[in-house]
Amino acid sequence: MLKAWRWWWGILLAFSLLAVSRAFLPLPFLNEVVIFSIYTIGCNFLLGRVGFISFGQPAYLAVGAYATAFYLFYFGTNPYIGILLGLMAGVVASLIVGPLFVRLRSDYFALVNLALAVIVFYLMQKVLAGITHGDNGLWFLTNIASTPVLDLSRPNHFFIFAFLVALAVWAFYKYLDDTIYGAACLATKINEDKLKFLGYSNYNVRLLAFVIANTTTALAGAMYAVYLGFVSPEVSSPSRAADPVVVTILGGVGTLYGPIVGAFAYTGMKDVIAKYIGNWELFIGFLLVFIMLAGEKGIWGTLQPRLEKLFFRNKAATAEGEKTSR
Amino acid sequence: MTEEILTVKGLNASYGESKVLFDVDLSVRPRQVVACVGRNGAGKSTLLKSIAGFIKSLAGSITSDHVSLVGRKPYDIAKMGIKYVPQDKKVFSDLTVRENLELGSYATKDYNWDRVTDYFPKLKVLMHRKAGYLSGGERQMLMIGRALLGSPKVLLIDEPTEGLAPSIVTSLREVFRELSKNAALVIVEQNLPLICAISDKVYAIKEGRIVAELADRDSIRADVCERYL
Amino acid sequence: MDTQLLTSGIIFGLSIGSIFFLMAIGLSLCFGLMRIISLDQMLYYSIGGYITYSLSLATGSVWLGVLGGLVVSGIAAFAVERLVFRRIYERELTFSMITSFGILIGGIGVIKFFWGVVPRPVPVPIETQIGILGTDVPVYRLVVVGVAILVYVGIWLFLNRTITGKAIRAGIEDVEHVEGLGINVSRLFTITFIIAGSLSGLAGGLHAPLIMVDPTMGLEVLAFVFMVVIIGGLGSIKGTLVSAFIVGQVVSIGSLIYAPLAQMAPFAIMLLILLIKPTGLYGSTLVKK
Repeated sequence: MLKAWRWWWGILLAFSLLAVSRAFLPLPFLNEVVIFSIYTIGCNFLLGRVGFISFGQPAYLAVGAYATAFYLFYFGTNPYIGILLGLMAGVVASLIVGPLFVRLRSDYFALVNLALAVIVFYLMQKVLAGITHGDNGLWFLTNIASTPVLDLSRPNHFFIFAFLVALAVWAFYKYLDDTIYGAACLATKINEDKLKFLGYSNYNVRLLAFVIANTTTALAGAMYAVYLGFVSPEVSSPSRAADPVVVTILGGVGTLYGPIVGAFAYTGMKDVIAKYIGNWELFIGFLLVFIMLAGEKGIWGTLQPRLEKLFFRNKAATAEGEKTSR
Repeated sequence: MTEEILTVKGLNASYGESKVLFDVDLSVRPRQVVACVGRNGAGKSTLLKSIAGFIKSLAGSITSDHVSLVGRKPYDIAKMGIKYVPQDKKVFSDLTVRENLELGSYATKDYNWDRVTDYFPKLKVLMHRKAGYLSGGERQMLMIGRALLGSPKVLLIDEPTEGLAPSIVTSLREVFRELSKNAALVIVEQNLPLICAISDKVYAIKEGRIVAELADRDSIRADVCERYL
Repeated sequence: MDTQLLTSGIIFGLSIGSIFFLMAIGLSLCFGLMRIISLDQMLYYSIGGYITYSLSLATGSVWLGVLGGLVVSGIAAFAVERLVFRRIYERELTFSMITSFGILIGGIGVIKFFWGVVPRPVPVPIETQIGILGTDVPVYRLVVVGVAILVYVGIWLFLNRTITGKAIRAGIEDVEHVEGLGINVSRLFTITFIIAGSLSGLAGGLHAPLIMVDPTMGLEVLAFVFMVVIIGGLGSIKGTLVSAFIVGQVVSIGSLIYAPLAQMAPFAIMLLILLIKPTGLYGSTLVKK
């Protein structure tokens, strides 16, 4: 019982804070933050654990979003099924490109993913405009049926849904961290030769990580689709390729809660900056450079070790805290 | 007492997180031939690299002619006359022999290649060949020849005879003898007969520490060296 | 397809390939020597374009603008190298990717600040057309190709006939070794970076009259330039030339056949080549030390 508590308390605390913030933060902001966090954790996992950076996450976001959109626009009305389809589309897409991408060196990997994002963008905007309606996008808000218990077409219910999904996602990633597989991921980042000598296949580890990360991204895309009731090629725009990367770094790469912190900071800043400074790129670009030069730890990455030191002086807890920087 | 040309005191070096050298002391006099022997992984190469400036994580002192080497960039140290000849016979394979030498001259402003070709006449013939097509022995000749430019006062040579045919090793022995007339040599080697033939002083390194120092020509004999390998 | 269309397609492909080539050299050299991915080269490309715009507006001469663009981007590259890259050479590749990306994004912000978001047109310096194989070809495009060829020759001469160039080639093989000889590699890095930035700026300046300059122009070419670099293989100048040619032709001829597909074709080629040779056509398998 105590063990279960030990395992869960971090997540429960984080998500309680999130739930509490519902009381004094606007709902649209929170919904966006939650979805964005899910979007980012995939990128975070890939970069922080496996050591691969991808500049093409919008591609997988679009895959999930459009799969859901197609379903809700052409076939059915159940948003849950739509999201499920989006998630499955993510799995399929990752399994198609994964075997090739994952063999590449880290820099080629990043750029190949970017190229994929460009391709998906063009696909949705021009090539498949017949079914995607190109830049006009697909509108299906009215199609979404009111489901019992949680009616996803209503923002406050959607938030509860998103909250629960995020909770599940975080529990999943934390679980992953604790398994041998999680350790293998870190190992493949740090020393692939050693891992090979231990008998593990770097390729398999990376491929699985790739699929997990991008399926999570597709899930976020599917949720975006249902939340907005609308999807356009904009969602895969290569100019948005920076978003998950920036949020990952901002929050703290390789940490478990970094994506949430980063998403909060990023979305919050965007609104504020847009209102007062207006030049968003200037700010975010230099912020990124600054963070990298200052030690690349990000907000949560810097806070976490300090908080741990502050609250935990005894040995038992240090063992918990030593389970890699989350 | 002749001035030392290279003095290492209390050297501690690390590769990232792991410490490789512990409290190493070493001294070299001008035109002295000093050998470092030890097992693979004992830290011999790291010692040379530390002196040459390639290891960032250093504690202790390394001085030559009253000037401290610690913290200096490798090219500064090379300019001071302390040249490093690395293992694995890496020459610039895409460049010709001539171009390899040109680079050496460019750095030292020494365009007198006669000295180089005196030591290694074969290089004259190979001038226009791309270094990548040279044999192991020829590459070693090029590396040492190139390091001679600028009349260095200390040559740090890392495993020069590794992988070379015995006949070439013999000729290298003569080369080292000649070289030591003008420069101090610090040679890391596994080839004991060679060491014992030419060294004035031998250090034995084990697990990052100096475990023996033989400064007397007489006491340097093969079976003595044997003990520490 | 008739010869007229084909001819203009080929010329168009050559000119766009030339632009990609100029930018890709910089990326390739920076990777080969310094083991960094310099995404900010897109920024110097944009700067080149914008300076060309402003100078040609101010002085009436587009060529002066292009020259100015080259100079200003070179200076910008120098500043960035000193301030940022100097500190991060030892880090792994992803580090330089993220940081240079930040510089690129920030730089776009700077451009927006000075010039606003509205795309600006730049006049074509040479309006004349010349008849080739029965079709009218803009001379300007031929000039662009000519410049690229000149640059290739110039880079070749630099790398093979000057001592600095040889030192760079040696450095691409083994930087530590070059350092051990006594050569100041810091200065070598700076020189290489300035060359890369200037060439990207030149590309931007030359491209400007063919498109409208806008703040995100760097992002628009990013995917293509990188496809060129990946196909050719990071670190190889010859590879860059070959793949720039290929990509240019594919984009151009492809768009004559079916426009949207043409933008995607280089991607397909890239995937194909990566399947066979994961480091590109001429790429090195060298890992960062």
